[in-house]
Amino acid sequence: MSAGGAGGEATGGIPQNKLIAVGVLGGLIAAYAGHFLVQAAGPAFAFIGALGAICAIVWGCAAVRRVASYGLGTGVPSIGMMALGMGVVASLFGLAVGGIAGPIVAFITASIIGLVIGALANKVLGMGIPIMEQSMTEIAGAGALTIIGLSVAMTGTFMFDAVLETVVATGYIAVIFIAGGMAILHPFNANLGPDEQQDRTLTTGVEKAAIAMVVAGIVATVSEDASAIPTIMIGLALWYVAFRKYVELVNRDAYKVIGTGLLPTEEELE
Amino acid sequence: MIDIAGILAENILYIVMVTLGGMLISWSVHFVPVGGAPAAMAQATGIGTGTVQLAAGAGLTGLVTAGAVMNVSDSFALVVASGAVGAMIMIAVTMIVGTLVYVYGVGVPPASAKVDYDPITKDRQDLYVSQGTEGHGLPTVSYVSGVIGGALGGIGGATIYYSLMNTSTGLSQSDLVALASIFAVGIFFVNAVIPSYNIGGTIEGFHDPKFKKWPKAVFASFVATLMCAFVGVLAIGGL
Repeated sequence: MSAGGAGGEATGGIPQNKLIAVGVLGGLIAAYAGHFLVQAAGPAFAFIGALGAICAIVWGCAAVRRVASYGLGTGVPSIGMMALGMGVVASLFGLAVGGIAGPIVAFITASIIGLVIGALANKVLGMGIPIMEQSMTEIAGAGALTIIGLSVAMTGTFMFDAVLETVVATGYIAVIFIAGGMAILHPFNANLGPDEQQDRTLTTGVEKAAIAMVVAGIVATVSEDASAIPTIMIGLALWYVAFRKYVELVNRDAYKVIGTGLLPTEEELE
Repeated sequence: MIDIAGILAENILYIVMVTLGGMLISWSVHFVPVGGAPAAMAQATGIGTGTVQLAAGAGLTGLVTAGAVMNVSDSFALVVASGAVGAMIMIAVTMIVGTLVYVYGVGVPPASAKVDYDPITKDRQDLYVSQGTEGHGLPTVSYVSGVIGGALGGIGGATIYYSLMNTSTGLSQSDLVALASIFAVGIFFVNAVIPSYNIGGTIEGFHDPKFKKWPKAVFASFVATLMCAFVGVLAIGGL
């Protein structure tokens, strides 16, 4: 089987409730802060939206880590793709009907869809994962907040007309879909195993989210209401810090790290 | 505030069609010979990747071909047929190349571990299954099953796209295309993952005993897609 987990709940590290608070509050506050600061102080503040996406992605990674530790029976990527599938439906609905309350409507819609799918997975499909309902709710909410955060970074607002014009109609929504989904699913997929540690997994999440932030910054070059340079620069800085931290943690968790040297040249082999 | 009841009354047919499309996708995944990571090491029958990647690859190709035909024709039958053909071609090509790699690269004969005789060709299977594996490669029955799965998935995806495109809305055509496509993709992913949890990651095709579990996944997809259909039609219809 391609199941990833060890068959039990992942333990250790920061309690999930704290991460939920970081993800929900960080994601929502940053979406609104980005929106209002761009209106009040200029497009340079669009990057705050991406910071919210990073909070949501870290929360999503932690939720994926918990639920996938039980062994989904299929690869970890499935749940990340599902997160963004639910998230994109809910977030576009929320932004389309919600107006200024868009991010909150989107988040609530995503949570409801996630809860129902989690319940179906346990009750109908009989997956028997005790935290499935909660985790699916969390993952869907994280997916929706990721999409909204990256949209704010790309357009400087979450008002639907701008998002539709700059993000959806141009097809950049597909970039958000894959970059955000990858950031949520990849960290646990890359780090799973008996020596998996929460801090290492979440550091990978920050690193992947920083890449998504840089991509959002590149897209922002075509948008008038969002500056590209701050988003790209802060994204690169965050990526560098997170990647250094990740390498450090890999060295900490590895039994031994040794250099093998360069490959021998042909003369040396003779 | 949008007129929820009015939009729903006007587009009730499309909500039903989106839901049906989602259920078709969910059913179609059960036909696709998904081998997952074990198949990637030639230790299980099927294509060596997960359900989501396969369903997404085939389904999105179907969506592209359906969208292309939708530009020149309003006929539901034509759009759905082109979606089905696109997805079938995609999955068939994937399986042909996979078979080439398994036979000439890995060096294993295509063999099913779930049945002793291929239900289509009547060829003996169990003799060719290597010890310690769950079969390998893509026997004829899995190939045929995969193509059927591609067709159903393509029909489902194209139905969803067609329905969302025809929802009454004030959006311009290009915005509508973008919004309908991304909603269709989102709904497609949800319905590709639900059956993959149902089959537990791997399945050989319609001859696999796990195939009989499909009503569960289709029911789960019915509920999940119904919600997504309401949300999608409301969002598009409200603009």
